[in-house]
Amino acid sequence: MSVELWIALLAGALGTYLIRLLPLLWMQRRLRHSRERAGTESMPAWLGVLGPMMIAAVLGVSLVPRVPDATGWIATLVGLAATLLTWRRTRSLGLPVIVGVATFGVMTLVRPMLG
Amino acid sequence: MSDHDLATSTAPAWLGGVRDSLPLLSGYIPVAVSFGLVATQAGFSSLETLAISALIYAGASQFVFVGMVAGGAPLWLAVAMTLLINLRHVVYAPNLAPWLPPSRWWPWLMHGLTDQVFALAHARLPQLAERQRVGWFCGAALLAWLSWIAGSLLGAIAGEWLMAQWPLLGEVMPFALPALFLVLVVPRFTSPRWALALCVCIAAALAFTLGGLANVGIPLAAALGGLCFFTLRAPRLPGAHR
Repeated sequence: MSVELWIALLAGALGTYLIRLLPLLWMQRRLRHSRERAGTESMPAWLGVLGPMMIAAVLGVSLVPRVPDATGWIATLVGLAATLLTWRRTRSLGLPVIVGVATFGVMTLVRPMLG
Repeated sequence: MSDHDLATSTAPAWLGGVRDSLPLLSGYIPVAVSFGLVATQAGFSSLETLAISALIYAGASQFVFVGMVAGGAPLWLAVAMTLLINLRHVVYAPNLAPWLPPSRWWPWLMHGLTDQVFALAHARLPQLAERQRVGWFCGAALLAWLSWIAGSLLGAIAGEWLMAQWPLLGEVMPFALPALFLVLVVPRFTSPRWALALCVCIAAALAFTLGGLANVGIPLAAALGGLCFFTLRAPRLPGAHR
């Protein structure tokens, strides 16, 4: 890899790191100021809403199956239903994911028979 | 482990973070292996692939970076596209900040703040005692980072062989990511207002992805969901003043 390419890689890495770091420093300063001046709104309301929305958006993006045909969508929906039902019973993090992946795996295996 | 168990656990906090981030691995490793394979096919060596994964550490933008470089695009444009794709990360740390106790480790740990680690931390940090949070985040973020690096290296060295041996595994394991995100989003459905806004957001992100706009789709869908949330008014109680 050429020196120019290494510089490009480091620029991409540093820029990505700063995108993650600088907003933290800004928010920490804002929180410190709001503690000093009691009663000031510490976090803007839109930011508090945007956090869960970003997670929901990443969920939406990840829902598209690798093979986006009818059976791929059915396998995704059944896998999600299994995940949801397990979460309702256990309210935990790991087990619903394991059950969801296993169900999706079974659906993927039987897909040739469905298709 | 339930939420109550998590807050009162006596196990080392970092171990809790490692345990919570385990589901991420089945999503991370197949994608990282794919990246390693794509990078070597684009002419990058194993060491260079490892450096990209360790230093940039942002899945989608890495694929774009190696694709643009291999395609002969100007390097400044490859860097600009990388940063543009990763710009969505700008809202992650401020959302976590209220739950981060003072520690000199946080600036360093921000390197590990990916979409998935953010989603996990946003759900878990509020449930933890303050003294556990740095350790928990350290365990979760480090495991995710190391698995991404190891997967990339594996893909660079043996990606072709792995894909030929277990093609189904590469198709099934990434389902861990939507399953995990679902488990992280579902507890947010606390009112019709939140439910509708979240559904709009998920549907919009899905539509953007089907239209080939996955990366731009994340912030756009989140903005649409937020707009929906603030447009909808919570029902006012009889006699309540505006």
